[in-house]
Amino acid sequence: MSDYLIISRSLTYAQRTERALVSAGFRAAVIRTPEERLREGCGYSVKLMRARLSDALGVLYSKGLAPKHVFVFDGGRAGEEVRL
Amino acid sequence: MIYLDSAATTLKKPPEVINAAASAIFKLGSPGRGGHEYAMRAAECAYTCRERAARLFNVENPENVVFTMNATHALNIAISSLVERGDRVLISSWEHNAVLRPLIGKSAELLIAETAPFEGENCLNEYERLLKTHPKCAVLNHASNVTGSILPIYEIAELCSRYGVPLIVDASQSAGAMRVDMAALGAAFIAMPGHKGLYGPQGTGLLLCGVMPKPFLLGGSGSDSASGTMPAYLPDLAEAGTHNMPGIAGLSEGLDFVLRRGIEKIHTHESSLIRRAAEGLRGKGAKVWLSEAPERQTGVLSFVFDDEDPESTASRYNDSGFALRAGLHCAPLAHKSLGTFPRGTVRLSVSAFTTMREVEAFLKV
Repeated sequence: MSDYLIISRSLTYAQRTERALVSAGFRAAVIRTPEERLREGCGYSVKLMRARLSDALGVLYSKGLAPKHVFVFDGGRAGEEVRL
Repeated sequence: MIYLDSAATTLKKPPEVINAAASAIFKLGSPGRGGHEYAMRAAECAYTCRERAARLFNVENPENVVFTMNATHALNIAISSLVERGDRVLISSWEHNAVLRPLIGKSAELLIAETAPFEGENCLNEYERLLKTHPKCAVLNHASNVTGSILPIYEIAELCSRYGVPLIVDASQSAGAMRVDMAALGAAFIAMPGHKGLYGPQGTGLLLCGVMPKPFLLGGSGSDSASGTMPAYLPDLAEAGTHNMPGIAGLSEGLDFVLRRGIEKIHTHESSLIRRAAEGLRGKGAKVWLSEAPERQTGVLSFVFDDEDPESTASRYNDSGFALRAGLHCAPLAHKSLGTFPRGTVRLSVSAFTTMREVEAFLKV
C-alpha cells in the first residue's frame, strides 16, 4: 500500500479520475502537480493515498480513464515512474 | 410588478442560486489557474456544475460539457465547427437570430422546413424530404421562443442519423423545461442558455459536445501553456479565458434545482399556467396560439388583440404592473411563418416560480 501521483492530460480529466477512484472506495484528491513533474501534464494530478495501484488502475481502465503517467509519491515528491 | 417574460430570462431564481453566485465573487478563484485554495475551490465548483449538467442532459462524459457566455455563443461555436462558407443547412421555419445570423454570416444556403406550429409528428415528412437532399448539417430549435411549439426532435434526430446529417439542437427554450437527452438525440451539439430554464445567472450558457468543436475563441486555458495552439481536448479547447465563476456557481445550483424539482413537474406546472392564460385571453377577444396537446408546447404563449398593436398591448400591461415582451422576439422567420411579421405578437412566458395567482391577476387587466 503506497501513495501515488496520477498525472492527467487536463484538470477536468484529473477530476473525473478522482471521482472514479473515490466512488470505488479509494482515497484520492486532485492536487497541483509537484514542480518536478509539472512538464508531464496539465499542472494537476490525482494523489492516490495508501492504495494498491493495480486495483486503482483496474477501476480507471474500466471507465476508459487511462492515466498519462503514474509516479510513486513519497514525502510530497514524485519519485520513480511506474511503468504502465 | 409581476414578471411574465421567463422565455427571455427567468427572473425569480432559487435562493441557492443567488447565494452561490454572490459568495463566488469573494470565495472562488479561477479553475485551472493555480493550486491554491481559491483556485481549487473554483475547480471543484466548475466540475460539479459539469457533472450536474451531464446528469440532467444524459451526457456520458462531463468533459463534453462546455461553459459558454450564453446560447448564442454556444451556437456560434457549434455552427462554425460544422458549417463552411456556402454550405447547405437545414433549419426549421421557427429559428431565432442566434441560428439565422451565424448561418447568414457563413453565406449558408438555407433549406427551411416550412411547418405549422404544434404539428408534432405530422411535420416529419417535410424534414425527411429535405434531409434526402443531404445538407451539410441541420440546426433546429427544440422549442420556438415565439409560440412555445415543440419540434418532435427525437424523431427528427433519428431521420438525421438515417441520412448521415449531423444535428445541432438549439435547446434555449427547452433546457430545464422539457426532456433534453444528449445520448438519445445523438446530436453533434446541443446549445443552451444558463439563465432561462436552468435558473442560472445571465452570462452563462452550455454547449454539450457529441463531436469535437473547432477552436472558436483563442487564448489561455490554464493547460498546455507552452503551446501556441489551443489544447486538443475538451473542455479546454473551447474555454479560452477566465471563467465566469459567479455565473457557473449559480448555474450549478440552478441545475440542482431542476434535477430536484424534476422536468415533468416543471412542464406540467408551466403548461397549466399558459392554458389558463390562453383561456382567459380568448375570453377577452385575443387571438392566442395554443396547442391542443400540452406536450407540444412549453410555457410560452403568443397572443394579439386585433384592434391593438402588440407593443401597445405590452405597454398597457406594463403600466398595470405586468412584464411581457412584444415584437419579433429576435425571430423574424418565426413571425413570418406565423403570419405576424412585421408587427409580431405579445409573448407571455412563465417559469417554475410563476404562480396561478399571478396569472389570474394578469387576466383581471
